[in-house]
This record gives sequence, C-alpha cells and structure tokens, in this order.
Amino acid sequence: MTRYIIKRTGSMLLTLLVVSALVFIVIQLPPGDYLSTYIAELESQGEKVSLAQVAYLKEQFGLDRSGIEQYFLWLWGMLRGDFGYSFEYRLPVADVVGDAMMMTLVLNLVTIAFIYLVAFPIGYISAVKQYSVWDYILSFIGFLGLATPNFLFALILLYLGNVWFGTSIGGLTDPQYADQPWTFAKIMSFLGHIWAPVIVIGTAGTASMIRRLRANLLDELDKPYVTTARAKGLPMHRLRIKYPLRMALNPFVADIGNLLPQIVSGSVIVSAVMSLPTTGPILLRALQTQDTYLAGSFLMFLAVLTVVGMFLSDMALAVLDPRIRLGQSRKAEGGK
Amino acid sequence: MIRSTVLLIVGLFLWIPPAFAWIENPYWVTGKGKLLAVPRIEQRVPAEPRIMEYPGMLPGQYGGSLRLLMASNRDARQIYYNGYARLMVYDQQLNIVPDILKSMEVQNGMQQFTLTLRKGHRWSDGHPFTAEDFRYWWEDMAHNPIIYPGSLPPEMKVNGQAPTFEILSPYKIRYTWPAPNPSFLPALASGLPLRIYRPAHYLKQFHAKYVAEEELQSLAEKHRQRDWRSLHFSRDRGKRYDNRDEPVLQPWKVITPQNTNRMVFERNPYFHRVDKNGFQLPYIDRIVVAVADRKLIPAKAAAGEADLQARYLGLNNYTFLKQKEDLHHFDVHLWKSGTCAQFALYPNLNTRNDTWRKILRDVRFRRALSLAVNRREINQVIYYGLGLETNNTVLPESPLYKPEYGTKWAQYDPNEANLLLDQMGLKRGDDDWRVLPNGETLDLIVEHSSSGLETDDILFLLRDQLAQIGIRLHDKTMQEDALRQRVTAGSTVISLSNGCNVGRATAAMPPNMLAPTEQVQLQWPQWGLYYESGKRSGEAPDMPDVERLMQSYNAWQSATNSSEKTIIWQSMLSTHADQVYTIGLISRVPQPILVNRRLRNVPYAGIYAWDPGAYFGIYNPDTFWFAQEDRGDLHGYNLSSGGDEL
Repeated sequence: MTRYIIKRTGSMLLTLLVVSALVFIVIQLPPGDYLSTYIAELESQGEKVSLAQVAYLKEQFGLDRSGIEQYFLWLWGMLRGDFGYSFEYRLPVADVVGDAMMMTLVLNLVTIAFIYLVAFPIGYISAVKQYSVWDYILSFIGFLGLATPNFLFALILLYLGNVWFGTSIGGLTDPQYADQPWTFAKIMSFLGHIWAPVIVIGTAGTASMIRRLRANLLDELDKPYVTTARAKGLPMHRLRIKYPLRMALNPFVADIGNLLPQIVSGSVIVSAVMSLPTTGPILLRALQTQDTYLAGSFLMFLAVLTVVGMFLSDMALAVLDPRIRLGQSRKAEGGK
Repeated sequence: MIRSTVLLIVGLFLWIPPAFAWIENPYWVTGKGKLLAVPRIEQRVPAEPRIMEYPGMLPGQYGGSLRLLMASNRDARQIYYNGYARLMVYDQQLNIVPDILKSMEVQNGMQQFTLTLRKGHRWSDGHPFTAEDFRYWWEDMAHNPIIYPGSLPPEMKVNGQAPTFEILSPYKIRYTWPAPNPSFLPALASGLPLRIYRPAHYLKQFHAKYVAEEELQSLAEKHRQRDWRSLHFSRDRGKRYDNRDEPVLQPWKVITPQNTNRMVFERNPYFHRVDKNGFQLPYIDRIVVAVADRKLIPAKAAAGEADLQARYLGLNNYTFLKQKEDLHHFDVHLWKSGTCAQFALYPNLNTRNDTWRKILRDVRFRRALSLAVNRREINQVIYYGLGLETNNTVLPESPLYKPEYGTKWAQYDPNEANLLLDQMGLKRGDDDWRVLPNGETLDLIVEHSSSGLETDDILFLLRDQLAQIGIRLHDKTMQEDALRQRVTAGSTVISLSNGCNVGRATAAMPPNMLAPTEQVQLQWPQWGLYYESGKRSGEAPDMPDVERLMQSYNAWQSATNSSEKTIIWQSMLSTHADQVYTIGLISRVPQPILVNRRLRNVPYAGIYAWDPGAYFGIYNPDTFWFAQEDRGDLHGYNLSSGGDEL
C-alpha cells in the first residue's frame, strides 16, 4: 500500500509538471498578449496609447522576456507559493481570486447537495419501479434538465424570478449588498438569489447521476442475495436500502475526483450569464484577455485539485471495496 | 420664473443678494442638523464659480442617487467621461468655452495660451487648486524621463517642438509655442482630454523628487508595486477614476475601493459650478454603479434597475424596453448617434496579398463595393428605417456637412458597379462569380470582431447584395486585438468595424481621422504607424491622393483661422467621398436612452456622441435632478437642445 502511494505521488507530480507546461503554452497560443488586448480595448474607447507607453508597460509586465523565461519564472514562483501577478487587476493572483473563491465554494457545495438530494430519490424510485409511469416521468424530467442549454434555462429563471418575486436580475445578492458585511438582510437576499443558479447548474448534473444510480441498482436488485434476504422475510424497503443501494454507491465515490475541481470551477458559463460574483467569470475574462498568470495559476489550481481528487477517490475506493484493493496489488505483483 | 422671483424677494428681505445666498445641502449635515462633514458652503464654492444656465434648464433640488449599470469595474472611467468637468468644454452649440478655467486667452494666432484659474477653487479634499498643479505635471511628470519615458503627448507639440511654460501668478499659467497649435483647445475639451495638471499635493508623496527612494520602495511594496514609478502610475488614476484617495475636480468622486462590483460616487463638496438659485452643483448626491454582465444589462434596465442608461443598450432592445416603461416609471428616448457610421467596411490598402492590394488600391473596386451596398434595404430590414443611408462621413449635425459627402458613390446602383468591375477586367467565371487575375474565384473575406445579431444580419444582407455583382462574401470573426494585429500585419484584406466616432466634427477639431495618422486606422495601418512613430516604423504612403490628405492635415495644423480650417476639412471630406477609402453601410442608428421619469433636465432628443459630446457630458449631468413626482407629459424635458425628435 505504501509503495502504491509513493508511486501515485510521483506520477501526480509528473502529471502536474506536464499540465503546467501545457497550460502555459495554450494560453500563449492565440496571437498577441495581454498588452495587445489591453491596448485594443483602450483604443476602442477612443484613448490613444503612445508607442513609448507600450514599451514601458511591456517592461513593467515582464512581457519583453522570452516565453521560456516567463514560464520558468512562473513555475519557480508557484513552488514558493507566489502565483504571479494579474496584469488586468494589477494585483497578485491570490488577492484577485481570494474574494470570489468563498462564493464559489458555497454555490457549488449547495449545488452538489442539490444534485444528490434530487438524484438519489429519483434514481432509487426509477430503479425500483422500473418501466412504471413514475420511472418514465422522473427520467423525462432528468433528461429535460440535461438537454436544456444551461444559459437559456438561466435566462428563463432570471426572468421569472424578476417577474414573480421581484429579485434583481443576476448576481448572488441585490446590488446594494455587494461588498457589504453579512447581515440578516444580506443573507435573505442571498437566499433569494442562489436558488436560480443552483437549479440551473444542478439539473444538468442530476440526469447522469440518476441514470448511473438506476443502472447500478438494477444490477444489484436481481442478485441472488436479494432474493435470499427477501425469502428470509426482510421487508422490501429496508432490504433495498440496506444492501443493494449500498453496493450501488461505488460510482459516487469514484466521482469525488471530478467533484473537487467542479466545486471550484464548475459552472463557468452559467456564472458568466447570471453575472455571479464567483471565480467562473474571472477565469473566462482572464483567458479572453490573456492575463497569463491569472489564467495559468487558476488552471493549475484546478489541475492540482483534479489530481488530488482522483488520488483521494482511488484511496477511498480501495478502502471501501476490497476487490479493488486486492485487484491492484495482484496486478502489481503480476507485472513484475 | 416664479421660484426665482420668490427667492429674489426672500433674498432682498434678508439683505443678501440672491447670487450669494448659498443653499446648504442636507447631504453634508450630520448629527442633529448642526454639524457639517465639510466646511460651510460659502467656504467650499470658489469665489468665482461657474454659474450654469442654458436654454431650457429647470433649476433643481439637491438629493437622490442615480443608478447606472456597467459591464465591468473598469467602467469607472465612464463617470469621468460623463462628469465632463474640463479646463475647457464644448457647450451645446459646440463652442469651446472655459469651465474649470475662469478664462482662456489665445494670443499671437494660436501660439500663446494664457490660462486663468478660478480664485478659491479647491480639489475635492479641500486643497487649493493652483498653478502648482500645472507645474507638477509639466516639470515632475511630463519632463521626468522615468514617469514619461517617451515624450510629451502629441497635442502638446507643434512640428515636434514643445511649448515654453510660465507661471505668471498662482492663478495664471502660460504656454507659448513657436508655431500655432490649433489642436490644443479641442484636446483640452475632449471627453478624454489632454490632462496638463495633476493633484500635486497628493501625488508628491509618491514621487522620488519629494520623498527618499528607500521610503518610496517600502511604500511601493506595501501597495504591491514594483518600484516608485509603478506606484506613482497606480495612484495617478485621474481618468481610470477608481482611486478613492486621489482628489478630483469632477462633479462626483469615487468612494468605494478598487475592483469592487458596486461602485459609489459621491458629490464633490468643492465643485466649481452653481446654479442661479444658489445651489452648488451637482444636484444629485450620489451615483451608484452596479456591475453586471453586458448581456444582462438590457434586461436589468428594463426591470427598473437603472435611472439613466444608454451604454450597453442597442436599438434591438428598444421595443422590449418601451414595453416596461409604465411598469417601472421610466421613459425610453431615441437619441441620434454621433458616430459617422454604425458599421463600415475597411479595405486594407496595406494588405500583404499582392493580388488583393492591387485590386483594393484601384478606386473602381472600392466604388463598386459602395455602389453595390443597398443601404435602404439594410435600414428597412434591421433598423426600422430609422437610420441614415449615407457613407462613413460627418453627419448633418456637423457644421462641415454637405450632402454629397454621404451620397457620392453611395447610391445603390448594381449596374454601374458591375460596369466598373468589368472595366477592371474582373471577368465572371462559369459559375457567375468573378475571377481574380490569378484565376481564383473572387472570395472577399470580411474580418470583424463584433459578435451579435446585428452584425450577423448586416453580413447576411451584404452577402446577397454583393452576390449581385459577382463577389462572394465570407466572414470571419475574432477578438478585437487579433483583428487589429492581422490588419496591421497585412493579413486581412477587408474588415468590418464601426465608423469614425466624430460625426459632429467641427473645423476646430483636428482632421486626424481623414489622414493616415494612426496605426488603428483599419484602411491604412502601416501608413498611420509611419506617422505615429515619427517615420521609425511602418511605411510611407505611396498613393498620391493619400499623400495629399497628409499634406492637408499638416496644413490644418498651421492654419490659424476658422475659414481656412473649414476649407481644408471640406477638401479632405470630398477626397474621401470621391476615393471611398471606407465604405459606410448605415449611419446615425438611434441610441435608446432610458430615463427615470423623476429625472429632470435630460434632453428628450439629444445626440449621443463621444467627441465632441462625452456622451451625456455635453448635457451637463451635474444639472440633472430628481423631482418628487413623475413627469406627466413632456414638461420637464429640456426640449430646446439637441435637435428635433426622430
């Protein structure tokens, strides 16, 4: 087991190194750099930018160095916990992302809770009552959520929220509470706003969750141990929840790896559409303006979360399910 | 009238002349109505204030918050543009008049400019505004090689020569050039002006001349800046307008920190404008800017979340906004746009593609393109017939306007266009598309950076229209900066962008948009770069007509009187009309303006223009005010200004 962990850690670091290079290259791929975007924006507003000013900004932002030099400076900085400097905000990256991170965590945690709360009962019912009217209706609703484009659904909910409840359009609170301390009124305003993005982002995720749970549960429901337990007189409901449902949970644990980065970055497009004060719009804007270090460090952070998440879910699965653990070690021995 | 009479009587009764009976704003009164957060109004208003009066102005009341919607916190600068307190400003008749300055004397045929400040004028923190603030910019910034690594801004130089700067008294400054500088006044009056003064008392604490370097270095680190230069740069935010510590002379100043999603601007207690009743302007106490995604702004505005909104609203939102008028108590007006053309095609005369360069430089091709555009169809289909079907040139509101500038080679005539192309030898191939000299089909790839229904619709119509003259149109969309780079590099053959933004140009404004003077001019980027870089990079113009435009531009620089300048402008405009360097597709598309029904002094019909105009700036937003009740009819609108109803 220890060997396994060490090996996994080694490959994780290697993966991250490759990812960092890829991220940096991809961000630099489009023609131009942050400065050209910035100048284009100023000039489209009627401002003139002199050539001397351009040269000065180039030097100030370190854009006069070669790409390779910029990459290694960034990499070295990250190892020391310095994520670089955002050109656009003229602030260290950590300061830019910091504020939005809290909102993002709250939003995505609530969304995940929503997905589980909706997907679990529906998946369970549609498996137990396979091919019944309920199965069809609930599956239909799930698929509808998957099939509706998120941004469109978001716009519809914003409109209805405004017409029915008079909530201001977009954002996670009414505008007057932005950057204000958390008072009761602000929390109420927050609750009045958060349901829309949660439903929008959530419905997209529930369908796949429902189908997975349904399929797994159906596999288990026909197994002989269920029949045996039933024959021994266990009540149907208790039996299903105690044994087959538990067995069907494996894929959820395997999902933790994907969940972690999703908590931080999920819903970029929806956040942009609904103009939520989360990290999504910041990342989107950073990529558009080629704010290299902001976008790069952000993507690296996501990569770290994904890799760590995968590692954790593998560990958890190994602990939960002896078959996986034993399979791993047998394979490792067989390979020698 | 009645109100001022009453005030006059009251004033006489108290033995105080009404002009000096200042009325204190309750906004500054704290606690039990006794204490002021700032000195008394008599001490705040300059001894020689600017008394605001214009035809149709309704005297107002203090109070209220004006809510605006913006797409990013970088839009803080919009408050600076629209606040429009400048050394000199354009009035509504487009005369350049003193504003922050008490007076401006122009002597020696525009060589010598003597600026006189208002006695007792103070920065928003109460520090006096004097000649020292001009000296600081001139000596410690413009002539400091570390802060201004290049040189003086172009408007400060005539034929590469800088002026001499003299301080005649704490309230008098003089600039003298060796030759006339007609660009100086328009540059001072622009929405984004030449700023020749700074709050010296504030910025000195970040300048190495006044503070020891080590001390500055640690201060820079505290502000997370690399060195004192970038520290100074990051504190000097006069036009970015997001540093709450920096004193200003504008009607409102920011009081929220940088990078916030809700910006609040508070009235400047020392603002230099007053009304005739003794109120210190601005009437409105606060501007509150909420930041939202630009695509949500029309929806938010329609939900009654803005009091005055034009930015990010388009004509395609008009009916939707209009529908909500009564529900949320606002009116939507249509103002005329001040841009020469909503959209224009820019053939890239500097393209690297040899075949195409030859074709584009042939005036017959450019004329044929323009003749083939059915502007009426575009107007009727997309703009409800509300646009103006002319080329990319000055608008009828400009004193320089002549109808032929807009109509020459711009009347829909596909037969004539076909004839011109046939004359050029661009034969039609078997499939009826024309063929280039090198045997390829004539595929015209229009590159643009705008995404949205409006552009898609325009290109859709254009594709059909150009098909009639055998030109196959394709389009390619990309980011704004990528487009500019491709155009400058000569990779782009033709681009689609907005028309020039000085549709109301006057002869006093430099005609730089008509000659190759800037790299951003999409029709001749290399020639513009050549001028901009002082012949160090780019290419010299090698088309006789363009060289003549350049000569005219230089002639304007040394022209001293208005009739001379008018003649130069008109010769340049008619060259453009004849040579069709750009192809305007539709002009003067109305701009929807959403106005809260309680808001007064916002014109019913106006012109929404950048320069001259500064958007709302020219209509003096400091004189806008909130009445208690909705306006019933058109009473309360400043009808007399800004042209007729659409």
